[in-house]
Amino acid sequence: MVDADLLAAGSWIAAALRSATPLLTVMLGETLTQRTGVINLGVEGEMLMGACVGFAVAATTGSPLWGLFAGTIAGALLSIVHAGLVLGAKANQIGSGLAVWMIGLGLTSYFGRSFVGGEVSPFLPLGAHLLHAPGLVRAVLDQITWTAPAALLLAIVAGTWLYRTRTGLSWRTVGESADVARALGIRPLRVRLQAIIVGGLFAGLGGAILSVDYTQTWAQDITKGKGLVAVGLVIVARWNPFLVIPTALLFGLSETSVLKLQAGGVAISPSLLATIPYLFAIVVVVFAQSQGRRRDAMPADLVAIFRTR
Amino acid sequence: MPLERARAGALILTFALPVLVMAVIFVLVAMAFFLSIGKPPVSTLVDMVMFAVGDSYSLSETLVKTAPILLCALATIVPARLGLVSVGADGQLYIGAIFGTAMVLAFPAEPTVILLPAMLLAGMVGGALWGFVPGLLRGHLDANETIITLLLNYVGALLVNALVFGPWKDPSNLGWPATVKFPAAATLPGLFGTRAHLGLLFGIVAAIGFGVLFARSRWGRELAVLKGNTKVGRMIGLLFARQAMLVMTLGGVLGGLAGICEVSAIQGRLQPGISVGYGLTGFLVAWLSGHNALIAIIVSFLIGGLTAAGDSLQLYAKVPAASATILQGLLFATALAVGGLSQRWRASGG
Repeated sequence: MVDADLLAAGSWIAAALRSATPLLTVMLGETLTQRTGVINLGVEGEMLMGACVGFAVAATTGSPLWGLFAGTIAGALLSIVHAGLVLGAKANQIGSGLAVWMIGLGLTSYFGRSFVGGEVSPFLPLGAHLLHAPGLVRAVLDQITWTAPAALLLAIVAGTWLYRTRTGLSWRTVGESADVARALGIRPLRVRLQAIIVGGLFAGLGGAILSVDYTQTWAQDITKGKGLVAVGLVIVARWNPFLVIPTALLFGLSETSVLKLQAGGVAISPSLLATIPYLFAIVVVVFAQSQGRRRDAMPADLVAIFRTR
Repeated sequence: MPLERARAGALILTFALPVLVMAVIFVLVAMAFFLSIGKPPVSTLVDMVMFAVGDSYSLSETLVKTAPILLCALATIVPARLGLVSVGADGQLYIGAIFGTAMVLAFPAEPTVILLPAMLLAGMVGGALWGFVPGLLRGHLDANETIITLLLNYVGALLVNALVFGPWKDPSNLGWPATVKFPAAATLPGLFGTRAHLGLLFGIVAAIGFGVLFARSRWGRELAVLKGNTKVGRMIGLLFARQAMLVMTLGGVLGGLAGICEVSAIQGRLQPGISVGYGLTGFLVAWLSGHNALIAIIVSFLIGGLTAAGDSLQLYAKVPAASATILQGLLFATALAVGGLSQRWRASGG
């Protein structure tokens, strides 16, 4: 009995991890971007670009790995628009993010049409490589591919880099005060450009993982606000790459429970159930923001962007 | 009159020049886009203008699009007067559509004089609710209204789906998810015998009303003070939280009105996809208008033309409708770039 419970728990964790992986990747990129004092709502569009281009390349070449690579690059390319607008033209960051989202949504709806209903050869689940693993481990490994542990590793590397290296320190300094950074000989504009492009790379990768690895489909607007959720959850993770992991997993759990409820034949409208992850995200964002502590965690130059009154 | 002439010159430099530069750049960008998708740039552009305002049918289709775009733009502008960035017009539109439809489904046999106002009122109440919630959260818990309104949009769209795939689905639709067709008494009258409808008039009246309020009333000045500095506002007895809830609720009323008008006048029934991104388009319009309600009337008409032309291009020139979204995004980016750069030049030029 205990074994069965453990297996069920393991299967839940695996499903949550699998569902959380695209979001975790996008959140990680947005966390690094925001750490330098730039907010980018355009990750929604960059994620769509990654999902669309990634799927197209994976379907054409037959290689999911090339798909992830191409999607990552596509996300970064679109992020350059945001960089040009907010760094080059000093345009409003919220407006620019929404413009980038519109461009990404339009481009992927336009050029993605021919790939709707297409097929990709997916990555093998990790369990297929480890046939002799014990039951609980198998229950987890059978459901995930290498992208999930890779994303977790990426978060740990990013966190370590941000808090333990000189360049990490200079990124954090730019986010706290571009003026101080400049006095220290750091070039804030260059750091922010790098941070926006890194955010674009991660958003593109997250989108490609979503379409090539997780859903293995392409559909118009496939991300359905996941990039926007990621921007919100960055607040919950308090701009900390390490905290991105539990935050993304919690969101993944909310998505998984919806899927499990649907599969379990609960007599509730699937559309109604699908609102749960959004409502969950809203609740945790409100909770995180109503805590006074957030002011300390938020990069000071970012506060200036949010301060509209 | 050298001084006056200088002032007029400065006025032209500050407003007319950036607009002109923006228009020229946007036309070039649009032509580059047409070229990249293998369409003749000049003739496609001419086609778009013709499809927007070329004949009375095109013009009426443009006005059909103008109505929800204007109302959604106002749903952004009203909160923006307090400095709030609401991107929630789409969600308000959906919830307004749901509440209005509920009224029609509950009292389908009532005469026009009762049903039509009741339906519109219900739609406004629904939208108001969807604006009030993020307003409350912003005012009292300091929760970011931009993120919350963005996420509530998805919830609104899903709630429409839940209803039209579920309890509200008309069985005679043979599987098509939609409610029964609205009775004639619940159909918003058209203007001048075209598909353009009363919603356009509501939008224009609201724009003028709010435009005057913002420019001339005590309330408009209070919002401006609070937007500039909350502390000063508090010193003279103004409460940010209360105003946040008020402007978000009023914005919601307008978004909800957009929704029920679209359902009643254009769709004739509640079904998925009633908003083709009107909320985001409205946000773009609000931005291009500099959050001025009166200017938003004109800009809504222009962007309405762009959207209508996008539909016609799809029909006649086989250019997918998504091209209109791309063009809107490019227009937004152009406006932000020109706006940002001209501000920089002005700052450096003194």
